[in-house]
Amino acid sequence: MTGRLRIVAVLLTAMMAQVTVFEEIRIDGVSVELLLLVSILAGFHGGPERGAVVAFCAGLLHDSITATPMGLHALVYAPLAVATSHLEVRLARSTRPFLAVGLVVAMAVGVCATMLAGGLFGLHDVDVARLARTALVASLMSVAVVVPTSRAVCWAVTGGLPVDVDVRGSGVESRG
Amino acid sequence: MAVPRPTGRSRPTLLLLIAAALTLLTLQFRGFAPLDSFQQGMRDLLDPVRSISETAARPLRSAWLGVFDYDDLRDRTERLEKELARMRGRQLSSEADRELLLRLMGEVGIDYTTLDTVVVRILGTPPGNFSSHTIEVDKGLDDGLSEGMAVVTGAGLVGRLEVVDRSRSIVRLATHPAFRMGVRLVGSQDEGLARGGGATGYLVIDAGIRPDVEVAVGEVVVTSGGRSRFPADIPVGRVVDPDQGADLDREIIVEPAASLEHLSFLNVVLDPRLADAGPLERG
Repeated sequence: MTGRLRIVAVLLTAMMAQVTVFEEIRIDGVSVELLLLVSILAGFHGGPERGAVVAFCAGLLHDSITATPMGLHALVYAPLAVATSHLEVRLARSTRPFLAVGLVVAMAVGVCATMLAGGLFGLHDVDVARLARTALVASLMSVAVVVPTSRAVCWAVTGGLPVDVDVRGSGVESRG
Repeated sequence: MAVPRPTGRSRPTLLLLIAAALTLLTLQFRGFAPLDSFQQGMRDLLDPVRSISETAARPLRSAWLGVFDYDDLRDRTERLEKELARMRGRQLSSEADRELLLRLMGEVGIDYTTLDTVVVRILGTPPGNFSSHTIEVDKGLDDGLSEGMAVVTGAGLVGRLEVVDRSRSIVRLATHPAFRMGVRLVGSQDEGLARGGGATGYLVIDAGIRPDVEVAVGEVVVTSGGRSRFPADIPVGRVVDPDQGADLDREIIVEPAASLEHLSFLNVVLDPRLADAGPLERG
């Protein structure tokens, strides 16, 4: 299976899981933000460029299933994937607990940014208390499914496609 | 472990993707039909899967509610029993009932319950975590519904159909901040424009009512009809704050007549004007 097909497979699976299983599992009315998680992990595992493209597609899929204007989630997810990728470079030797906290923060930022973008376009009012509660619950719930999701995203974004190699510190760039 | 990554090309790619997202958003807000059709097609495609998932999860959800929401269920049962007793009492006092009905009809001027409606079941909130002031119902285009139709209960206006797919629809509640409708004050017969109050749960009449008009607390507010997308004389609510001392920017606070608490079914008013109208007419 080529890299692109793997990415399509993971995105479609995530979308199906989002509208079925995770729609049914809600805590305080909040569900897992699986497509946001996939976007962040795509930036983490796949680098800024590939991560941005995968996150953009994940955002479009999210817009398709949630009846929000097309492009709203994509507008937030792609920069978040790039930001995650750049941070990952700086946190390469971090421990797992530290990465887990980083993931929760990235998820919370993603949820808040999406909600603020929606508010900016007049889709809903921005209620700070509700925003904080939604961001916290969605982030913590998403961390619960991070291990299988991370494996799937890693399998998709690192397999098959040519990987650009940047030898850190040397400024030399080669392609495999 | 993350793979090594390039750093040089990510910025143009990101800018390109942001530009694409903004273009899509602009097209969507300008009513570019193929995008709407694509989204609707995707949702219709996923609908059977969602239905199966909901059916499969129902026993689990019931068990969960039974274990963790037992107190709530018991309270609800007690409340329903009281309601039933009250209704039986009302049935016995038919004279009082008739008097109440006549008084209400006198206030409203029309029995809106004679409008053609389709009964829909509330499925819950639409997918996603950002669907405030919206609910999903179980009927759609196949049942003759179309965007913009008014959604009511026996008590009055609840909202309007915002997104209509083949077998599901999303209702935008009247309390949604972007909800606008023409209203009429029954006492003064003044007409104005009301918007949803968002998290407050109220409606706000913020245009059209002159500052010098006397508005009483408890005055009935109904839909104005006319050029509005809703049929006239559907009860909207009662005034709780007439903002009598306002100079120019008068904001009259209205408590909605219909409450969604513990409701399972709603009525969609079949308005032939909307069913026949194209997207532009529907606004």
